[in-house]
Amino acid sequence: MKLSAYPAFTATAFTSRLAYRNQVWSGVFGELVATFAFIAVWTAAFVGRGTVDGVTLPDMVTYVLIAGPLLNWNTTRYIREVGDAIRTGDVTTFLLKPLHYPALLFFNQLGNNAFEQLTITLPVAIIVAFTVGLLPPASLAHGLLFVAYWVVSWGIMFLIATLTAMLAFWLLTAFALDWFLRGIMAVASGAIVPLWFMPAPLAAVLGYLPFAWVSYYPSAVYLGKLDLPAAGLHLAIGCVWLAALAGVLTWLWSRMRHRLIVQGG
Amino acid sequence: MSPIISASGVGKTFRQLKRQSGFGGAIRSLFSRDYSEIRAVDGVSFAIEPGEAVDYLGPNGAGKSTMIKMITGILTPSAGSLSVLGREPHANRMVNAREIGVVFGQRSQLWWDLPVRDSYDLNRHIYDIPEARFADNLAFLTAMLDMAPYLDRPVRQLSLGQRMRAEIALALLHDPKILFLDEPTIGLDVVAKDAVRRFLSEVNKQRGTTIILTTHDLVDIEEICPRLIMVDDGKLLFDGELKRLRATLGSRRRLILEFATDPGPLALATATLAADEGATKHFLLENETVSLLDVLGELGRGHGLKDVKLEEPDIEEVIRTFYQNKPKLAAAL
Ligand SMILES: Nc1ncnc2c1ncn2[C@@H]1O[C@H](COP(=O)(O)OP(=O)(O)O)[C@@H](O)[C@H]1O
Ligand SMILES: [Mg+2]
Repeated sequence: MKLSAYPAFTATAFTSRLAYRNQVWSGVFGELVATFAFIAVWTAAFVGRGTVDGVTLPDMVTYVLIAGPLLNWNTTRYIREVGDAIRTGDVTTFLLKPLHYPALLFFNQLGNNAFEQLTITLPVAIIVAFTVGLLPPASLAHGLLFVAYWVVSWGIMFLIATLTAMLAFWLLTAFALDWFLRGIMAVASGAIVPLWFMPAPLAAVLGYLPFAWVSYYPSAVYLGKLDLPAAGLHLAIGCVWLAALAGVLTWLWSRMRHRLIVQGG
Repeated sequence: MSPIISASGVGKTFRQLKRQSGFGGAIRSLFSRDYSEIRAVDGVSFAIEPGEAVDYLGPNGAGKSTMIKMITGILTPSAGSLSVLGREPHANRMVNAREIGVVFGQRSQLWWDLPVRDSYDLNRHIYDIPEARFADNLAFLTAMLDMAPYLDRPVRQLSLGQRMRAEIALALLHDPKILFLDEPTIGLDVVAKDAVRRFLSEVNKQRGTTIILTTHDLVDIEEICPRLIMVDDGKLLFDGELKRLRATLGSRRRLILEFATDPGPLALATATLAADEGATKHFLLENETVSLLDVLGELGRGHGLKDVKLEEPDIEEVIRTFYQNKPKLAAAL
């Protein structure tokens, strides 16, 4: 299969989701409730205080939207589907085709997430912008860097989710792994509490783990909490993580394929 | 012509970790290196010529799916050698994949939430099928398989029979040289089975596509494939035409005698009692030369015989006899 043909999977995933378009309403509603709940919590925390550690309430409202609906990628469905395909052996039907399975997953999940960003994140962002108000990026350069961070965030989350689903092949349960991952992501990605409000030793450790590139660093860069050299440096570190995780995935997939063709699906 | 598929002494042994029962057993098996071996395929050899249609028949667990997986390159043989289109299948997975089509009766390759047509379009990308060729094939398959009414319906709304036809079309869109079907008629009703069988035979004759079909369903056989490969317990039992199988086994015709009232036990020299339902008795004729008259002559008058029916042996009968006589035959063949 030619590389130029893979985007067909993106389109397929996108149109598949249209079949369940009534789920969009509950998705938007759920995200809105969660977003306004977090905004309420931060509003309460900021009562009587203009800034906390150099962070303002409008900063936090914008952080909630970016780290939450925008970058807290929904992978539950994806991990379940891939985990099931692996557990039931359906994955062997993909081995029968002239294609690279992880690449198929990549383009497929791109379609899924594009669908969610357009139908759920965008409306939620518009509603929050017109009710509570959102800040623009700290500078044009920060805004441009943020776009690169956004891509890295998606890439890292795709790799972590795919690795999690593949572990189901050895551990035989994608469900428990998904809960485990969600627990880790809730803390380590900074989706709920930014690293700057965490105890210093914890923040220091989490600041080096790949999860922080999913929600925390992109949001912090958007808000200008990292100066441009620091933002550039962390983008480079994020890319190193991306390459490392891609390497692990390639290795794990080749081991899995080997096991599949020796021991059967 | 050289064979399109050849298997020589092919074997597959699965190693399975021995699991012990209970919680303690589960913990122990985590550390155990105790394996049991399952010989799913055991020294099977055959050669298939281009354009042939072959039935790969055997009861559940006989090793049919394992064989199909090895020929299609998604499982490595643990013994012997395999060649498909001149290549070793598992070492050439990508190249091989372009030239074969595979249908698994128990696994769908269609995209569940999308209209059937969209899965076909995706295959056009996967296999780089030229636009015109794709349109031709789709038109041919749609007409032959009568798929026009549901081409635009999502797969999840199709009946099993419709879905299976759609799966077969999917596997044929890229003009594969060989089509493998693993239990394609499983779960289908008689009408749907018939449609599938007639279509496959048509594709084999018209397009010259080599077809290998596995089944444990005896009724599948006669219609599609004149050649039969029978396996059991991983081993090859018979390879040849159905006619030869019949001849080898001798056809035992079935004679059904219906009496007005139960005549009591009956024993004959020319036929063996197969089933006794009181007033209705089934006999199997001993051999080709015994005629109906011989039996009736032996039976004589005075039993209140009401009706007589003579049936040709059906294939189930042939194969049942075959499995019953397996040890004897294995020695003779
Ligand atoms: N991946 C596997 N691991 C262990 N044993 C297997 C595996 N796949 C099949 N078997 C065993 O091999 C034998 C043949 O299986 P299979 O080829 O699926 O039979 P069939 O398709 O004829 O019903 C069975 O005993 C089955 O349990
Ligand atoms: Mg099988």
